[in-house]
Amino acid sequence: MGSFMQRATGTLIIPVGVFAVVWTLATLDGASLFSSGDSLLILARATAVTMLTTMALAINLNSGRFDFSLGAMALASSTIGASVAINVGGGFPVMAAVTVLSGALLGAFSGFLYVTLRISPLVSSLGVTLLYEGLAFTITGGGNISFTQYPELVSFGKSLVAMTAVIIIALIGVYTVFDRSRFGSDYRSLITGQAAAVSAGVKEKGNAIKTYAVSGALMGVVGLIQASSKGLIEAGSINFSTIGIMFTAFLPMFVGGYIGRYSNDKLGYLLGALSMSVIGLGYSALKLTSAQQSLITALLLVVFLIFLSNEERVGRWWRKVKGGNRTPQQPSDTDAAQSVGTGAR
Amino acid sequence: MHDLNPTDVNKETDVTVDTRDDAKTTATSTTKAETTTKADAKAASKARRGKLFADLAPLIGLAVLAIAFVLVGTSSGTNMGYAVETLINQSVIIIIIATGAIFIFAMGSFDISLGASTLVAAMVAGLVHNATGSLWLMLGAAILTAVATSLISATLAAVFNLPVFVTTVAMLSVLGAVAAALVQTTGGAQIRIDRAFSREYDTLAVKLIVAAVFLALCVFLFNYTRLGRVEKLVGGNPMTAKLTGVSMKLTAIAAFGIAGLGVGLGAFLTVLRTPTLTVTSASDIGMNILVAMVFGGMVISGGPRSRIYAAIIGGISMALLNQTMSIMLQGMAGGAGIAQMVRAVLFLAVVWLAASGFRTKVLPR
Amino acid sequence: MRITRNAVAGTAATVGMTLALAACSSSAGTEASGSAAADGGDAVETVKMCALVSDVTSSEALAFRDYYTDYIASEFPVEFVYSDELTDAEAEKTAMEGFIANNCQAVISFASADRPTQLDMAEDAGIYYAVATGALSAEEYETFKDYEYYVGAIGPDAMTEFQAGYDMAQYFIGEGDTSFGIFGGGIPYYLEMHINRAAGMLTALAEDGTTSYGGATEMGDILGKIYADGTIKIQDFESDVYELTGYLETWDFDAAWQASMAEMIAADPDAILAVGTGNAILGSAVDGTDIQIGDIDAYTEDNLVAMENGTLGFLAGKFTSINGPIFAATLSAVQGEPYRTEDGSAFALSQGYWTATSAEEFQEIVDADNVESPVYDVDTLSPFVATGATYDEFADFVGKYTFADLVG
Repeated sequence: MGSFMQRATGTLIIPVGVFAVVWTLATLDGASLFSSGDSLLILARATAVTMLTTMALAINLNSGRFDFSLGAMALASSTIGASVAINVGGGFPVMAAVTVLSGALLGAFSGFLYVTLRISPLVSSLGVTLLYEGLAFTITGGGNISFTQYPELVSFGKSLVAMTAVIIIALIGVYTVFDRSRFGSDYRSLITGQAAAVSAGVKEKGNAIKTYAVSGALMGVVGLIQASSKGLIEAGSINFSTIGIMFTAFLPMFVGGYIGRYSNDKLGYLLGALSMSVIGLGYSALKLTSAQQSLITALLLVVFLIFLSNEERVGRWWRKVKGGNRTPQQPSDTDAAQSVGTGAR
Repeated sequence: MHDLNPTDVNKETDVTVDTRDDAKTTATSTTKAETTTKADAKAASKARRGKLFADLAPLIGLAVLAIAFVLVGTSSGTNMGYAVETLINQSVIIIIIATGAIFIFAMGSFDISLGASTLVAAMVAGLVHNATGSLWLMLGAAILTAVATSLISATLAAVFNLPVFVTTVAMLSVLGAVAAALVQTTGGAQIRIDRAFSREYDTLAVKLIVAAVFLALCVFLFNYTRLGRVEKLVGGNPMTAKLTGVSMKLTAIAAFGIAGLGVGLGAFLTVLRTPTLTVTSASDIGMNILVAMVFGGMVISGGPRSRIYAAIIGGISMALLNQTMSIMLQGMAGGAGIAQMVRAVLFLAVVWLAASGFRTKVLPR
Repeated sequence: MRITRNAVAGTAATVGMTLALAACSSSAGTEASGSAAADGGDAVETVKMCALVSDVTSSEALAFRDYYTDYIASEFPVEFVYSDELTDAEAEKTAMEGFIANNCQAVISFASADRPTQLDMAEDAGIYYAVATGALSAEEYETFKDYEYYVGAIGPDAMTEFQAGYDMAQYFIGEGDTSFGIFGGGIPYYLEMHINRAAGMLTALAEDGTTSYGGATEMGDILGKIYADGTIKIQDFESDVYELTGYLETWDFDAAWQASMAEMIAADPDAILAVGTGNAILGSAVDGTDIQIGDIDAYTEDNLVAMENGTLGFLAGKFTSINGPIFAATLSAVQGEPYRTEDGSAFALSQGYWTATSAEEFQEIVDADNVESPVYDVDTLSPFVATGATYDEFADFVGKYTFADLVG
């Protein structure tokens, strides 16, 4: 793993580098990254949403299970939570509890379908996406849920403390569940050798269902944050219109995988999400149009993947430039890239 | 192309028990059957029946949906003549693009940017038509743009050794930005071509001719040439493919090229069908072709069980299901949500049946 | 492999024959029922009317739908079939095909991605087609006004949209406000009504002698600049009197969008002028500040609450039953009495918004017009459904749409 300095450098180089570049560009343009009092809140909220989504995507993708239904789970769980809170009462605690619980249940049901039908997880997730979008639509009759009349339900998304707490709790929770528990140990053994782990007695089905449940709960929190920050839930989103959120998680996931080599991949997802959120603030400061933003984000993804997939070559070139050979060889991050194969190389 | 995947072990198993595709595989399987005990033979026979049923599941689904459509349509007084024509109109573009895409999916790759490619190709075609007034230049522009777009993805993935899926995720964003830029060249919200022109060529005959020619080409390439066999081999067991001297890069480029041709033809028909193009046009196509392929029995991980007919069966099935549901739920508040849930259940049921003969000890990935 | 191919061929043949037989037998049936309807046998036959909608989620869209499906359908011999949410021209065409196949006798369109195609399809199929809460462009009107089955359009035209934006800005100027943010919604998507409304706002500000937008002070020039830029550039706004402190567009809700929104609010303008959905998008964010929102939306409960708590200062809204007259004209056409202008063309009538600047005014409007008790009720509309009323009488009826006209 190398020395502390090497680990610290490997862990922090991307977020620090991103911040430095974005801050410099903004300053050169005469703009500020933190132009309003809410900038920190926005940074924390965007980081929370991206980190949770990245974790929800990665915990299944590490096992070769691609999940299109992340956005649909966030939508359906927040629709259920908000509907219950509005109709039954109980305010935000009820909305939060029902949203996260229904997220976990929706996730578990998604996992149950997958292990019961024993079909490709990607295909299963297509069906689940349609199912959960349809469910949210049916609950509201296609209408939006607005919180204008229920301001107590939206304070959560406006609290810097709450967003920071979400980040910390989720990070510790996911780290504990996947890196420090028997469940996590089984989960990792299934990643590294599925057939061998099953032969050794690891209960793959239960493990998969629980992983989907965690993924659903994380997306429930995402749904909760989005609902309370937007002040409305667009419950009429059908025909796969919820899958977009998944694409925002790819770059932070690969960044997280890279950082994970030096420290921990969960911490990596947080730092990857933080980097993306800083870039988002940069887009705003530089007044880029949404088309320009899409283009730059896509290019960053491609460039970073090219770097990951050709790291050894880059390393050789760098050593050549420096005229030495002191940098230790790092393992390639192709595992992360391959896991996105999903049977889709 | 990356060629390692945790599912490779399972795929290898599939190849050895699959009795229908590869002559070599069939021979191996037959030899094994001769040397098994009676119980094994019985089990093998049961497995074969299971696989046969699984193969037939998409077709059974199609037949059931067709009957349901006719029953529901006639009982509710639907104009069935027009409805059948509509079925073809609504499914032909999906079928063409999805059939081309099967070459990508057969080798275990996954392109999520096909809808965006269709939009950009259609926009370029529209602009070319508006500049020249020529049908043929418009067709050529659509095909060239789509093939070029497709090959960019393939080349990026092949040259830089990137996972195809993530490359196409990036392409999705890039193409979205290109589409926005193309629209802006008109100084308005849309690219619109002459109505009279599109009405002249947006006919059933044009669609059927384009579809027939392309589908025939795809069936020929996929089932009767080395290219099709190689695609399936790469999808089934890339390591074997590599060891037998298959060029992974060239195979991928060929697959993306054919898919690009399909996208180009789909884009051409899209411009004729909807002469007003905006940045949201064709937004459903990317996911719809995926659903159609899978509904038609395509194995998402590719390999020897890939079927070139899957897109046709799935495309028509989806159109039948959509029409039947819209007839049944017309006028019902929240009907779209219920229709989508029913679609999800049927989709999962058909896929489950189609996979029923191919279970492995471990969960599929 | 042989089995699979045979099965494919067999199933294809079965499906093909089933569909072909059904198509042949049903075509004859449809023709028969069509001619029976044309003969006009039964006067109280239920008319199947279909609605193309591009929005199924907003409160406004739901209120419009409830008015048709709950009130109108219970008072007139009509059945409504609604499309799904139509996001592009392809979706509109698919929905039209479904309507035609399912024997809709008329289409009322709230979807505008590709109206020419909708009109052509309706004309080819011989079903009546009307445009609600919108208008054809002048060029489109010239092309389609003589179509036999084109009923006409009632809704805010470009000038009405411009005026709504203008009135909003004028209201806040009248209140003594001098600093403004603008929410441009769909301007980057070239949503015409949003562009027209924004042009109205900027034109109102530019009436002050020191103010201009990119050097432009007249409506046409300002419109031209917005179309050319595809956005509003606050750095091009110049004034000694007014300040444009921020601009936000689209509904992305991502980090960059949220940062732009926070920046606009942090600049603490006196008011944010929204081209639409202002309270829904910004209401929660301005809550607790002194910033007021001007909005062009609908008379919904959420907007009432926002006006009561002072967040919403100005609302130009379509009232719930605003689509009553276009329904009456469409039903009249189906029943054999289409309204045509003096030269025999389809009509193009404009209808504007009702405006509220206080909770009391808002409440008055809601009380006067709702799904249970609409201003365009059965008694008001019936005289214009196949009763021999003339085009001039109908145009006069539509033209009296203000609150004062209809409620008094």
